[in-house]
Amino acid sequence: MSSRRPPRGEYIETDTGNKVARKATLVGTQNIMLGGKTVIQPEVMIRGDLIRTIQASSQSASGAAPNSTAVSIGRYCFLSRGCCLRPPGRLYKGAFTYMPLRIGDHVFVGAGSVVQAATVGSHVHIGAKVAVGEFAIIKDYVRILDGTVVPPNMVIPSFSIVAGQPARLIGEVPEGGHEAFELRDIYKTVGNNPQPAPS
Amino acid sequence: MAAPTPYTYIQCPCSDVSTLSHPSDPNSPTGTEADEDDRTFDPRAPRSNYSLYPLEYLLYCEDCHQIRCPRCVAEEIVTYYCPNCLFEVPSSNLKSEGNRCTRSCFQCPVCIGPLAVTSVETKPDPRLLAPDNIAAPHSGPYALTCSYCHWSSTEVGIQFEKPNSIHAQLAKLRNGGTTRLTAKERKERRRDPAHRSATTEGEESGEQEDLDLETQFANLKAFYQNQLADPNSADSGLAALGDLGFSSPTSLSRIMSIYTGGSLQDKKAKSRVGAMREALEPDEGLQVANLDESAAIEQLQSEGHDGTACTAQRVDQPPHLGEEHLHGRGRFTSELRPIPYLLRTKRSKRCPICRHIISKPEAKVQTTRFRIRLVAGSYIPSIAIRPLSLSNGGGSASGAAAVPGALLDPLRPTHYLLTFKNPIFETIKVTLGAPSKTPGRFASKVTVLCPDFEIDANTDVWDEALKEGGGGGGGGGERDRERERRRRKREEGSQSNNNHNQLEVGKIWERGRNWVSIVVEVVPASLRVEAGDGPLREDEDVLEIPMFVRVEWEGEAGGDEVGSVPTRDRDTREKRELAYWCVLGLGRIRQS
Ligand SMILES: [Zn+2]
Ligand SMILES: [Zn+2]
Ligand SMILES: [Zn+2]
Ligand SMILES: [Zn+2]
Repeated sequence: MSSRRPPRGEYIETDTGNKVARKATLVGTQNIMLGGKTVIQPEVMIRGDLIRTIQASSQSASGAAPNSTAVSIGRYCFLSRGCCLRPPGRLYKGAFTYMPLRIGDHVFVGAGSVVQAATVGSHVHIGAKVAVGEFAIIKDYVRILDGTVVPPNMVIPSFSIVAGQPARLIGEVPEGGHEAFELRDIYKTVGNNPQPAPS
Repeated sequence: MAAPTPYTYIQCPCSDVSTLSHPSDPNSPTGTEADEDDRTFDPRAPRSNYSLYPLEYLLYCEDCHQIRCPRCVAEEIVTYYCPNCLFEVPSSNLKSEGNRCTRSCFQCPVCIGPLAVTSVETKPDPRLLAPDNIAAPHSGPYALTCSYCHWSSTEVGIQFEKPNSIHAQLAKLRNGGTTRLTAKERKERRRDPAHRSATTEGEESGEQEDLDLETQFANLKAFYQNQLADPNSADSGLAALGDLGFSSPTSLSRIMSIYTGGSLQDKKAKSRVGAMREALEPDEGLQVANLDESAAIEQLQSEGHDGTACTAQRVDQPPHLGEEHLHGRGRFTSELRPIPYLLRTKRSKRCPICRHIISKPEAKVQTTRFRIRLVAGSYIPSIAIRPLSLSNGGGSASGAAAVPGALLDPLRPTHYLLTFKNPIFETIKVTLGAPSKTPGRFASKVTVLCPDFEIDANTDVWDEALKEGGGGGGGGGERDRERERRRRKREEGSQSNNNHNQLEVGKIWERGRNWVSIVVEVVPASLRVEAGDGPLREDEDVLEIPMFVRVEWEGEAGGDEVGSVPTRDRDTREKRELAYWCVLGLGRIRQS
């Protein structure tokens, strides 16, 4: 992003290709699932400690995900400097509990944004200084412009471009715009051995 | 709109009147060649606003071999769905239920945020009833509340008995909570003699019957239908025409329409229909307007401007549901009702000339796949613009605009790298044409150092095939390795090239597998306004270069797919060509 070359060893690179900045704050790492090839920049905060305290009976029967997962992130995601991923919480049968935050593949989260969605699909671009409210559902191929406030519980269907406070549909992702969500190239530009962006 | 700079916009041929008038010979672009050469394109012309698009927005017709834009394609709706619950709405429902979601999906009338059903008894808390929370302790009554601005439907006196089928419940409620009669109930009431006698008694006692909007409309409609159907529409002034057989308004209008075909009819028919009598009593739909607006004035005084609804809020309102009467409707935010979500659509797109489908999404709401998706980016080269800083040597050339987004210094030569990337599986020949001075009051000098070059084919068939089919899913390590290998190769190549790069006319700057970089030199104009000239207009400081791009290649003869199956059969090849204008936005010039 910036032209500044990071000093050597700024990132921890895992076996699955994740690049996690040493200056990122990951709380409750055992509850954070990374799919691989994901970049986590400095000053990012992920609240893996906010785990679900009440188990839904239906959920445990289906066995979809391990119940202790608070935040799951797919492949080729890019979490920009200073953004925050936080599981949403609510009252459930009279008691307060957090629910898991699930993020798909190729999801970009801009600098300084806060995401408290229930799910974020794949190929989603969240701009800088965006607030995604609790239990929002963001489907695939969605672009959220800088400074948007997505209200709690809002559903954003695929191919939406939203902006404003509160978020409002301002356009549709054109047919030729699907490839622009790919984050393979930007993945290579970050890390301990960053490569220049392809021309 | 503040466009991200630098940018490339491409002009769709539909803006060119000459191409539209000769749609039948798209395969012989040579016919219009002469005109194209003479004509220069002014990106600042008011009309240009409507014809320039970023590459992503453009489609491509394989039959016409031409670019198509959102403005000229013909759209067809594949699926209607609610953007909130994501349920598909069959088009048959659309006719009966309208184009809004009839589940419990509502938007806040004040801020358009989503509304959630909450129990009124416990303090309204949007967290309480998130979508899958079925087991939460429920107790009526319920209200719709906004999680963004905390508006609640209780503010307009609307509460619900059940937490489900909100749409049906809301349809029966007026603002303030009074019930709205359904069509069926109204019919029954009209037939019910007890009710009728009750109203006539009321009239006798001097009171005007209070008709609600729907009843009034139904009464009026019935009244006028009677008038039209009745051949001797009563005490009208048509008696004089009786001999001519014009006594019936319907036969009259029929005869008039035969002779006038419509235009005259209105005027004449009106005068005749005017001869019918008007509604005189509530049973016929007469409702005396309540002209006493003192309550509204009082409210305006107490709540002020903030209490009034803005135009956008009023436009979003479903018509004629909240109020009893037409007059005195929805002026205040305190009268706004929840807005049922407007349905969204998935649409396929057809070429306007040959009618072939060039984009077609799969019908299911939840899938993002396309059956057909012919995007221009797979057929015409992309153009990326990057400021070029010449750090070593170069002498006069400076790195003035090396930082993207920086202002351009007037009268100072600046260089830009244009990188053309070839998406098709054939080698293409690119010819560029740009006016030496940009159009407009402040003419910047433009020199394309290498306006003529070839770009190698996009040979990596595997990679593209995977990209098309995979839709971003798995991918796999092999693909990554392959990419990595290619990237390294390219890097080695460019490293060795870098030392030899020189600003030389007729030489390309750099070349890769399927791309070529060339240099454009610009001398930005000075924005000094002469005495007597008008002041600087909006965006007049933006340096935009109009550029004509001609792409030539050899394709499969007869075959429609320009770049899909790379069979190497030289005998069946034919020359293809595509030419279009585009505009390169380089940035803003510094105002001296
Ligand atoms: Zn067009
Ligand atoms: Zn709905
Ligand atoms: Zn609201
Ligand atoms: Zn066509």
